[in-house]
Amino acid sequence: MKYPDNIRDLVLLNPDYIGFIFYDKSKRFVAEIDEQTIKDIPSCIKKTGVFVDENASVILDYIKKYHLQAVQLHGSETSDTCLKIAESGVEVIKAFGVDEAFDFNQLLPYLDSVNYFLFDTKTKAHGGSGLTFNWQVLEKYTFSKPYFLSGGLGLENLDKVLAINDDRLYAVDLNSCFESEPAKKDIEKLKLAINKLRPILKETESMSYNVNEKGYYGDFGGAYIPEMLYPNVEHLRKEYLKIIYEPKFQEEFNQLLKDYVGRPSPLFLAERLSAKYGAKIYLKREDLNHTGAHKINNTIGQILLAERLGKKRIIAETGAGQHGVATATVCALKGLECVVYMGEIDIERQAPNVARMKMMGATVVPAISGSKTLKDATNEAMRDWINNPEDTHYIIGSVVGPHPYPDMVARFQSIISEETKWQLKEKTGSEYPDYVLACVGGGSNAIGMFYNFLDDEHVKLIAVEAAGLGVDSGESAATTALGREGVLHGSRSILMQTEDGQVTEPYSISAGLDYPGIGPQHAHLFKTKRAQYVSITDQESLDAGLLLAQTEGIIPAIESAHALAYLEKMKFKGNETVVVCLSGRGDKDLATYMKYFNL
Amino acid sequence: MNRLHQLFNTKEEPLLSIYYTAGYPDINSTLDIAEGLEKAGVDFIEIGFPYSDPLADGPVIQNSSLKALNNGMTLKLLFEQLKELRNRVSIPVLLMGYFNTVLQYGVPEFCKACAEAGVDGVIVPDLPMYEYEELYKDCFLDHDVSNVFLITPLTSEERIRKIDKLSNSFIYLLSSSSTTGKNLDVNTSSEAYYARLQKMELNNPTMIGFGIHDHNSFNKAAEFTRGAIVGSAFVKFLDTPDAINRIPEFVATIRK
Repeated sequence: MKYPDNIRDLVLLNPDYIGFIFYDKSKRFVAEIDEQTIKDIPSCIKKTGVFVDENASVILDYIKKYHLQAVQLHGSETSDTCLKIAESGVEVIKAFGVDEAFDFNQLLPYLDSVNYFLFDTKTKAHGGSGLTFNWQVLEKYTFSKPYFLSGGLGLENLDKVLAINDDRLYAVDLNSCFESEPAKKDIEKLKLAINKLRPILKETESMSYNVNEKGYYGDFGGAYIPEMLYPNVEHLRKEYLKIIYEPKFQEEFNQLLKDYVGRPSPLFLAERLSAKYGAKIYLKREDLNHTGAHKINNTIGQILLAERLGKKRIIAETGAGQHGVATATVCALKGLECVVYMGEIDIERQAPNVARMKMMGATVVPAISGSKTLKDATNEAMRDWINNPEDTHYIIGSVVGPHPYPDMVARFQSIISEETKWQLKEKTGSEYPDYVLACVGGGSNAIGMFYNFLDDEHVKLIAVEAAGLGVDSGESAATTALGREGVLHGSRSILMQTEDGQVTEPYSISAGLDYPGIGPQHAHLFKTKRAQYVSITDQESLDAGLLLAQTEGIIPAIESAHALAYLEKMKFKGNETVVVCLSGRGDKDLATYMKYFNL
Repeated sequence: MNRLHQLFNTKEEPLLSIYYTAGYPDINSTLDIAEGLEKAGVDFIEIGFPYSDPLADGPVIQNSSLKALNNGMTLKLLFEQLKELRNRVSIPVLLMGYFNTVLQYGVPEFCKACAEAGVDGVIVPDLPMYEYEELYKDCFLDHDVSNVFLITPLTSEERIRKIDKLSNSFIYLLSSSSTTGKNLDVNTSSEAYYARLQKMELNNPTMIGFGIHDHNSFNKAAEFTRGAIVGSAFVKFLDTPDAINRIPEFVATIRK
């Protein structure tokens, strides 16, 4: 691949890997492709560098420069070279040209140094010949390591691929037969191929932690909305990926994140806290963002999207007021009308944030229906959208709501883990921590913090819910502990409810965690056990907030203090690396801290 | 053929359907109101089962839902009450509510309970077409319970065709994209929309709902479709003294 437009079209097909050839003798050599174009590919698609007998140090430089997640080695690289590259954290795919005489025993030394083999047709020119090899020789391959099949795969022979009944066949490498010219993919042809391969692709799809084309994460997600919302949501679904991967969009988005939000947010080694717990504890400082929390990552993305959709009026819901402030902020920045729905009770307990929104020109409308908190504010915002379908964009603040919201918000928040990976690598030499912790209400900071680690199964993900006065006290917001499958605010997820399916009132001291559901992706991560869901009481979180203030000089939001509080319950062997998402700062919670600690 | 087909196939005058919330104003008023509506000449009725988060509804029906819940109404209790339905009421009856309550009851169990109670159809605004078709259609068809879809002026022609194909009693037309309880405003753009629908020659009859509250709006709706559905205006009326005995009075304000 080397043409930016073609790369973007390909991204929309959502392949598992995209390859770039860094071999100057190939007619597909990427030469000086724009670095940003490659970096902008969403991290759920593995950016793969293809090399032939390149120096390991040069390969490592390319990995760094282009944020490559995998390399394909097509020359006579030794197993030592493979190991050296694998140690940098990327996937290594070692290619071999196969013919009838191929001796599979030569793969033995590579078993411990590569992730996958790739079997290609044997030619003098290191692949790309457009010819197939006799796949029957694969019967002689006896190792368990999964492999990629390559060499001359085209629409006419994919039926035969479907017939290969081998669990180790992990991926198919489509290349020259799908090109309109070297390095340029024929997108329509690829769509046909993907459709053809769908029966065998399904299996890997169910293993995915990300959304499928119907808007589902396993059993969860979808778009359970009345017809009145359908045209808006459908319009958004059709456009969101196209818009957010436009180069102009990415450029403006990244610029604003840098100059306006202040990103990258620091990754800070909390040394005194580390000493106390016996682990290396890093804090991802989302609290240092403009407006004081991670929420602005999403509102910047959505306001740029709303502009491109031609919308003139913005609505939002807010619980603690952080998302409301982040929305009012970007509306002021772009000169768009802003209406924020906020539960009447939350308006009382978060007065400073209400004042901030008003000062920036937003109208704050109290939600007086139902329980008068976040869930009702969300209902009111949805009703507003039903009544104003044409000129209004609804900026949902968490990874909840109908598809595509959970996926869209997750993509905007994924910057948190994207930065964490390279920051951690700079500091420790490895981009993988042992544990990642984040608090969960609807779950947007947690998804952002988990996103780029989802497929790194050795990284343990811990999501901390609010137990309120205790999980069994009747005053709690611990959704996974107390809820069951249900539908709220347009998606199927896990929900706190009565036997009859009435949504119950959650409770937490933290307004931002006071939500009866969790995003559908969280429900999926919970059900598949990819992430562990735990809970922390009001008291434990307040104590953790005080502790952080006194050991590190940082006053955290009570939401984020829930994640910190779980450190107390973990057992470390010594020197594990832990990243905690410090999702917001504690200024807004000062009144609560004052009350509890008699300050 | 259920009662709805019978009605749409035989009656020629404009049809009037009325919505109210089960368990409102009193927990035991559900069947008394149904009987009163039939006696007042209403053609079919829609009984809402309440939900804590009715996001397609305006304040009037939000309020009746909340009161019904506080009165102790549940789907289970409603089906208990409906055991008497066919001893007291013979016009078609639909249930209307949100998907989460149906999901918790169990979709197959829900369809079965509808059939046993003599309920002819259901309207579940937040059950999407895709999920209905892929997961639940057979349950509904097996029990001869019609699922009624909504369309709005913004629904595309392609989607309307698909809805027409999946429908088997009538299609619920919204006069505009809005929550319930806003008064119908018939202007040139909505007339163009009704005319566009007439031209499509759908297989299923249509009824207009949302915003029908008096003679004018009812007559306007009946000009373009088979009739109209009244909801919020009636729920508001139920809040007046001795309302259940004065139902004919209300019906006369809509249809002479």
